[in-house]
Amino acid sequence: MKNELVRILDGNIFVLSDGSGDIDAKPAVPCGYFSFDTRFLSLWRLTINGERVSALAVDDPSYFEVRFFLVPGAPTHYVDAKVSVIRERSVAGSFEERLTVLNHSGEPAEFTVRVDAACDFIPLTMVGQEHTPLGRLYQRVEDGRLHIGYVREKFRRETVISTTEPAQVDEQGLTYHICIEPHGQWTTTLHARGLVLRPDGQDIRDHVYPGRMRHDTARLQDDLRQWLGEAPQLSSDWEPLERTYRRSLVDLAALRFSPLTLPTEPLPAAGLPWNATLTGRDPILTSMQVLPFVPELAVHTLRMLAIDQGAALDDFLDEEPGKILHEFRYGEMVAFEECPQAPYFGAADTTPLYVILLDEYERWTGNADIMREFEDEARAALHWIGEYGDIMGDGYVWYQRRNEKTGLENQCWKESPTAISFRDGRLPSLPRATCELQGYAYDAKIRGARLARQFWHDPAYADRLEREAADLKERFNRDFWVSDGEYYALALDGDGRQVDALSSNIGHLLWSGIVDESRAAKIAEHLLGPRLFSGWGVRTLARGEGQYNPLGYHVGTVWPFDNAFIAWGLRRYGFHHEAGRIAEGIIDASRYFQGRLPEAFGGYDRELTRHPVQYPAANSPQALATGAPLLLVRTLLGLEPYGEDLVVAPALPERFGRIELLDIPGRWGRVDAIGTHQEAEAVGR
Amino acid sequence: MSKATIKFFEALARHGHERLLKKTNGTIRFDLERDDEVDHWFVEIHGGTVRVSQQNSDADTVIRSDNAFFDRMLRGEAKPLPAWLRNDITFEGQFRLIILLERLFAPPPGARHPRAAARDHRRRG
Repeated sequence: MKNELVRILDGNIFVLSDGSGDIDAKPAVPCGYFSFDTRFLSLWRLTINGERVSALAVDDPSYFEVRFFLVPGAPTHYVDAKVSVIRERSVAGSFEERLTVLNHSGEPAEFTVRVDAACDFIPLTMVGQEHTPLGRLYQRVEDGRLHIGYVREKFRRETVISTTEPAQVDEQGLTYHICIEPHGQWTTTLHARGLVLRPDGQDIRDHVYPGRMRHDTARLQDDLRQWLGEAPQLSSDWEPLERTYRRSLVDLAALRFSPLTLPTEPLPAAGLPWNATLTGRDPILTSMQVLPFVPELAVHTLRMLAIDQGAALDDFLDEEPGKILHEFRYGEMVAFEECPQAPYFGAADTTPLYVILLDEYERWTGNADIMREFEDEARAALHWIGEYGDIMGDGYVWYQRRNEKTGLENQCWKESPTAISFRDGRLPSLPRATCELQGYAYDAKIRGARLARQFWHDPAYADRLEREAADLKERFNRDFWVSDGEYYALALDGDGRQVDALSSNIGHLLWSGIVDESRAAKIAEHLLGPRLFSGWGVRTLARGEGQYNPLGYHVGTVWPFDNAFIAWGLRRYGFHHEAGRIAEGIIDASRYFQGRLPEAFGGYDRELTRHPVQYPAANSPQALATGAPLLLVRTLLGLEPYGEDLVVAPALPERFGRIELLDIPGRWGRVDAIGTHQEAEAVGR
Repeated sequence: MSKATIKFFEALARHGHERLLKKTNGTIRFDLERDDEVDHWFVEIHGGTVRVSQQNSDADTVIRSDNAFFDRMLRGEAKPLPAWLRNDITFEGQFRLIILLERLFAPPPGARHPRAAARDHRRRG
């Protein structure tokens, strides 16, 4: 892909560079070494005898390592290099780079190897924008190390660069004057550490317990092997499915990061580069997608989000008691309260989704202790739905930011400013109640009732939740139904009007179960109809709507995770064929991304572009997208826990041929599921 | 030490449990600096009950702050987490107790229920 950056990561620590390994960040080129929400290197440039290097080959043996095979000069002029360079980079907790210079001539040769280094220390959220620092940058050479830093009042971030071979270190980088034997080689290892310093020069993270996990490449290697070994093995007659399944498992491993609070319970960062941080929605929906494969992510997510659950009213943070967070950031703008992510709570879906994940986790694992451990949090979340989510006092879940300066206008998954619109493109008044939020609230109440009855010994509460859910479903089917279009409105606005655009949100209603049986066929027809279905998947917004744009982030692109949930919902209502078509389209699209589905791709008609067009600023890898193929496999095989057993009810399009999923973990131990075009078997072991 | 600080710890001893989760356990020591002195406040949280003393004992978490800044936090005017990130206060110890602090301090002055905020917004037009 053109201008594609080379990316390696270890959860929320990552390096993005150009194809030769150089980093030269600009607003339009979001590269660098990032950690703790801050860029710790914005310039990292290698020259040999004053010449830039070009890549002959790039190899990424694992998600945290990359090797560049380089020669000085532009490759077009490359005829017979007398020298080449191997640049081996890893990011395992910090940035390490081994440079090997090879002399290919029969004579001893002298070289000047230079690494220029600099940093702007800008917070991740400001990457991609022009930014004027309010603090002061400094450079200092001390004990053969280069210290590059940034200070604003008592806030301090510093990058320390060290080398194993002696170098001439100046404030702009390191120079090696070396002489290499005929056909010999020379090697040095450079190490860059990103520090979050207190005024006394100590790293603040070293003073909190349990704090940071020590990472090294050997440990990450072992961990990945174990991770892949424990996940179910998938085989299929259709190779692209096997490829995207494996890629997804590796990317999911890569995105896991260890929060300072719970370092031994890693959960997925939302996505690279823009959202390499703790969020609420992404780990919840990702854990949900991957529950049949790697169930522990769900419990890590539940525990982490419980610790940060809202406890008070706070307008700046859009926080209310019981609310589940939207996003946590650690950068400079959060430190100085110029941005609210400490954490920010501006999301109306995370709280019901929390209850849904809790219940779904028990259905798969049978872990009743967890249901009791999080009883208080789940009750607080359910209380939030009725008390703080119901802004208009009419039983629906609404959102309206109280932080009008830096809060989010749209607090559903489609959070861009124009995502929620009328058919004619006008934007609705506030507050807004999007349809899928009502589906989540309904599902949360139904599931909350099950938990109350079975685990909290509170049948009266269970009855109440069920009554509320039934009432919500009835009113929803009355108030949201757009009769002249025969679908559910995208939202209600503050004036009680139906926001009548046709959108993929109606697909989420199916997996929540809030759709009246009699209306499900109409919804399925819309989802697979020409206005929503592109041939690859369901567009976020239907073609023909005022705001529609095939490259609009939430107003026309196709999101793999959205489609996976839609397919799952279609199966729930018995639309096997339709679910299969979506699964086939999305898995087919993965072939164009080497198995790694991006966050979103263009909503153009498949016939028009022939291949899926990548959305230019998409996060990749992105946790939700990595989860999509896994939920699609669950959907195709019809995996559903039923009491102590796993029900397998495959319904595959012909193209998949046969899918075998071996060793599915759950309350049944390990079970295999095998599906062919028509048959079904479940083998208990 | 400031009157506000004393009042805060007295109230914490009486009502702290109301805002804490039952499963919260741990000890926090506040080292509050003013002039050349450091006052110690030792808070024990066990099964949701709260005990407060002024002993200078080892704790799971030690929070060091200028007394005047601490008073801003307990009034809800400053937030502990951003203050930690910009080194206005320091923490040593259990990170989860740091997050818990916001449950102990007052909410920001003027914070509104979302329903009230929506009404305000409508009235303003």
